[in-house]
Amino acid sequence: MAISTPVLEEYAGGTVAREQVGLWRDGFRRLRRNRLALAALVYLTILFVVAIVALFWTPYNPAAILPNTLTFLGPSAAHPLGTDDLGRDLLSRMMQGAQISLIVGVGTSAIVLTVGVVVGLIAGYFRGWIDNVISVFINIFYGIPGILVAIILYLVLGRGLGNIMIAISATAWMDMARLVRGQAFSIREREYIEAARASGARSGKILFGHILPNSLGPIIVQATFVIPIAILTEAFLSYLGLGIPSPLASWGSIASEGYAALPLEPYMMLWPAVALSLTLLAFNFLGDGLRDAFDPRQRL
Amino acid sequence: MLTRGTLIYIAQRLALIVFTLIAVSFLVFITVHSLPGSAFESERVHGKALQLVLHQYGLDRPILVQYWSFLTSAIHGNLGVSFQIRGLPITPLVMRELSVSAELGGTALLITIGIGTTFGVLAAMRQNSWVDYTLTSIAVVGYSVPSFVLAGLGVLIFSYWLPNVTNGVISYPAIWTGTYGTLVELSLPAVILGFYTSGQVTRITRAAMLEVLQQDYIRTARAKGLKSRVVTVRHALRNALIPVISILGPLVISIITGSVIIENIFGIPGLGKEFVESILGADYNVTVAVFTVYALLIGIANLVVDLLYTVVDPRIRY
Repeated sequence: MAISTPVLEEYAGGTVAREQVGLWRDGFRRLRRNRLALAALVYLTILFVVAIVALFWTPYNPAAILPNTLTFLGPSAAHPLGTDDLGRDLLSRMMQGAQISLIVGVGTSAIVLTVGVVVGLIAGYFRGWIDNVISVFINIFYGIPGILVAIILYLVLGRGLGNIMIAISATAWMDMARLVRGQAFSIREREYIEAARASGARSGKILFGHILPNSLGPIIVQATFVIPIAILTEAFLSYLGLGIPSPLASWGSIASEGYAALPLEPYMMLWPAVALSLTLLAFNFLGDGLRDAFDPRQRL
Repeated sequence: MLTRGTLIYIAQRLALIVFTLIAVSFLVFITVHSLPGSAFESERVHGKALQLVLHQYGLDRPILVQYWSFLTSAIHGNLGVSFQIRGLPITPLVMRELSVSAELGGTALLITIGIGTTFGVLAAMRQNSWVDYTLTSIAVVGYSVPSFVLAGLGVLIFSYWLPNVTNGVISYPAIWTGTYGTLVELSLPAVILGFYTSGQVTRITRAAMLEVLQQDYIRTARAKGLKSRVVTVRHALRNALIPVISILGPLVISIITGSVIIENIFGIPGLGKEFVESILGADYNVTVAVFTVYALLIGIANLVVDLLYTVVDPRIRY
């Protein structure tokens, strides 16, 4: 857990004035002390490497039904994770699944970050009618389960990797916008914003030069927590058969095929179950660690 | 308790719920109707016959007119007819499925609050001990492990590995018979659904307990010589439960989200299963109806939670 030792060691050298530390250095120094978050970071790095490797090389073609291969093979030298219900290599499919999970997670987070930050800044900084319109819209959708909206929107947009990210972002950006709006609301009243305005800074400069950097901590934390939500939603959709079109492999769709084959072969369900659980755990631990490090005020 | 101010507040909130319902149903109506395909397209019905069927169901009118007729009949409690099962009235269908979902969701909510508050209090009482670490880790695992993974595990254990215990399927004599099944039949889906959300409750309870336990009046109570159990339950837990009530609203939303998955995995004929089936079958009316019912449920849940505040914490007034 996050036990941050006091800053005493900084004074050990005899310096009286505390050296100035930026947000990033300060945050990462605190993150380094969090062993769970570090372990999560190591796991996620490995996962990213696997996903990048899968771009160029997988043991077999993940979509190919291999000739002279039995279905539901257990782990063996030729197929380390076995084969699936059609005789496809599960390791290759799991590697492709990692790629898709990470693309969906990080991609959705990027969309949410962009839209949520811009909309939130505008609402919180300019206030007035524009804030009212945005707030009413967000309040209408407040509480509507994101997965319902995602299902409808995804089918309307058509299946595909890009559309699934848009469909999940459709409700996820609202939490981010709400958060940023609140930050902008309080920060715009500070003296340094007044000073900036008095010295002739334009709104854009104030928004992106002053307000945004000063609310980065909570934004980073929120953006991290969007990743596991997006991965989970994609897995759910794929599990229900509403996700990434086959023959592309998603952990959710492998799990779904594995669930149907549970009495025959538990392995097929086991791999995506373990991979998904570990990945979501890692992102949640990393998010908790980042919250302790970058946003110490809202510690849970 | 029900002062004039409270009544005005309730009226305002109800008006907001109605406005939300209209806005949400409108957006969903428009979106769903732009879905490709139609429930009536088949190799047997095309051309003039298709036009006739569409006309019969009023689908050849402009979309705004269609929405208006949906809205006016919805106000009278008529949510239209299904396209998949031609002409089946939706309102009774949705009401039956709502009772099934409510049975599942209500059980899960009780399990969530039970597990969550117990774990949270225990973790806070033994802060930074192995008990604390174990329970908070279970909480994170709870909302990290997807429910279909737990469902697979549960089915594997109870139906394949321990068939003698469960006779292959999970069915025991009834404790309580609801609209869908007995409490025991529901136990596996409900526990899985409840476990997912219990993590949030554990964390909130733990944080609130830790904060309350540092207050002066707790020290006073201890100094008076009250037993630790009395201090914990009567002085600390009561005040620590206020933040827990504040997340009841989001909790209901999480459970609804989870129930969409759980119902589809276990084949429970509730709203969530109907939602997915209706959208796959282009049964627009059902999709809109289920979505609107969900929005209504959430609106009411949030209102009830906000009113609960005033009961638990008399300092809060509306």
